[in-house]
Amino acid sequence: MGKEHSIELRNVTKTYKRDEFTIPVLTDLDLVVPEGEFLALMGPSGSGKTTLLNLIAGLDNATQGSVIVHGQDLGGMSDGEITRWRSENVGFIFQLYNLIPVLTAFENVELPLLLTNLSKRKRRDNVMTALRAVGLEGREDHYPRQLSGGQEQRVAIARAIVTDPFLLVADEPTGDLDRKSAEEILSLLQQLNKGFNKTIVMVTHDPEAAQRASRLLHLDKGKLVHDEVRNNLEEGVASS
Amino acid sequence: MIPLKYNVRNLRVRWVNTLLTMLGTGAIVWSSCILFGLVEGLQHSMKVSGDPLDVIVMRKGSTSETNSGIELTTAEKIPTLPGIARDEKGRPLAALELLNIPVVERVDGSRTNLIIRGIDPVSTELRPDFKILEGQGRMLEPGKGECVVSKNLAKRFKGASLGSELKVGEREKYRVVGIFSAGGSAAESEIWVDRKELEQNTAREGITSSVQVRANSAEDLAALKQTIENDTQFKLAAISESAYFADQSRSSAFLIVAGTIIAVLLTIGAMFAAANTMYAAIRSRTREIGTMRALGFSRFDLLISFLGESVILCTLGGLLGLAATIPLSALTYGTSNFNTFSEVTINFRFGPIVMAVAFVMTLAMGVFGGLFPAIRAVRMDVITALREV
Ligand SMILES: Nc1ncnc2c1ncn2[C@@H]1O[C@H](COP(=O)(O)OP(=O)(O)O)[C@@H](O)[C@H]1O
Ligand SMILES: [Mg+2]
Repeated sequence: MGKEHSIELRNVTKTYKRDEFTIPVLTDLDLVVPEGEFLALMGPSGSGKTTLLNLIAGLDNATQGSVIVHGQDLGGMSDGEITRWRSENVGFIFQLYNLIPVLTAFENVELPLLLTNLSKRKRRDNVMTALRAVGLEGREDHYPRQLSGGQEQRVAIARAIVTDPFLLVADEPTGDLDRKSAEEILSLLQQLNKGFNKTIVMVTHDPEAAQRASRLLHLDKGKLVHDEVRNNLEEGVASS
Repeated sequence: MIPLKYNVRNLRVRWVNTLLTMLGTGAIVWSSCILFGLVEGLQHSMKVSGDPLDVIVMRKGSTSETNSGIELTTAEKIPTLPGIARDEKGRPLAALELLNIPVVERVDGSRTNLIIRGIDPVSTELRPDFKILEGQGRMLEPGKGECVVSKNLAKRFKGASLGSELKVGEREKYRVVGIFSAGGSAAESEIWVDRKELEQNTAREGITSSVQVRANSAEDLAALKQTIENDTQFKLAAISESAYFADQSRSSAFLIVAGTIIAVLLTIGAMFAAANTMYAAIRSRTREIGTMRALGFSRFDLLISFLGESVILCTLGGLLGLAATIPLSALTYGTSNFNTFSEVTINFRFGPIVMAVAFVMTLAMGVFGGLFPAIRAVRMDVITALREV
């Protein structure tokens, strides 16, 4: 155990309390995600995929067990510390893009940089680099409503990578897109994984999307039921 | 920090709600400004002049110039006392003045009491704000049956316009040779004539009402007051300008207290209007709030952002309310002065009190109206907020 593993979940249990009942969502889960892995999480609706993603991204706390990232226990951090940790280490990609409608593409991507103390000039350079990386140069002054779904998701990806985090979490990033746009987004994620060594954890319902990942994990009723690592990605051949 | 343009643009996107809230808060700021504008005007109207070296000499025990009477032989000694300032011509700045309160007819035919002030030549120099309006005639000359009328009265009284014959009381008549302004002070509720003429016309020879005096310095002022008040023969009181003013303003102090209570109640009402708008704004932006928290903005960042939005919203309303008071600067109000029972005209004054009232109300509405909605945004659970569709 240690440095070569970027994310480690040990005996993680997550329950929600609703009125008198405690609802178990994840039970006694162990998982290691090495740095640079592109992990796809699949499973039926309500199986706890989003909950697992939130734990890894430092949005939520485990009820039992620990989530350790780069040797740091996320459960031991205060609200302020974990908020800061997220802004430095995690990029978020959502199913519905979650762009701020009143801000332009440029301003949306710039948003996470306002938490750093970079100069305006440096921020501008970083935003333009991120927009170029997702193929949206020339669209920086467009508002989200002036963009297609695929373009909106690319702005969201630019926003996720602009601070250069090591981890990207994506909750059904292609769930709201047509086939062609979905393919483009998935290619982009693959590129970020291979070209920039980003660790990616992606929840998806789409088996074709899952084929793009380097590892596939199935979740059912809060337990890992199937774990498969692919070694020949280029040909998309699965081997377990 | 979440950029301010985020809030400004959201206000613009939700412009119908923004506009309605602006109208609500604006109307409240507007009505409070009118109230305080009139109070400020009332206070100003009681001011005689602004100079701290000025004193009014009246008979001991008099509460106002109108019920004071001084023997002319006594009054004439006052300009000869030491310590009195002089003008360029070497005349002592001490003016004997005689007040009369006859009935005068308004333009609409109704009648009221007005102050007619009989003045000395140096009287105008004792009122630094006094001036004959540009192109509105000249100053009166003594002994010619002339008068000058304040601009407020010229519009509202029969025969008070430039060049007309003004009928005062039963017998007196004066020709209007000039229209004056006096910086909104008490003189703007008066008609000025020559003192000696007024003395004859009202059969009050040998009597004057007051003496307006300006001292050379603060030390001279103190000495002068002492000389006048300690002289058992004189039986006079020398009241400094500020003390006289404070005394006359007691009734407006009550108005200020009542006005403040009303303004506070109205502000609380406006807070609810602002709060309602902000609650709606925050409810419709739940997922955005979750997203910003996920990106790493702190609870404090969000609190400041939404408080800022609320303050901007109320400031827009406040500015609207203030702007709506501008046409009222021309408003003139006639009311009775309870001390003299003569008519006093009040100009709405867009002064420091009005500005302060508008500023404090706006800030209170914005901060307290935005506080509870902002706290709701801050306390939102990130996970739940992100699940919102
Ligand atoms: N805040 C919450 N309170 C109570 N129950 C919750 C909460 N969040 C999620 N759940 C429950 O946890 C289970 C797993 O949810 P989720 O992780 O969203 O599943 P998935 O993403 O796989 O569809 C569901 O049964 C859901 O109802
Ligand atoms: Mg989910």
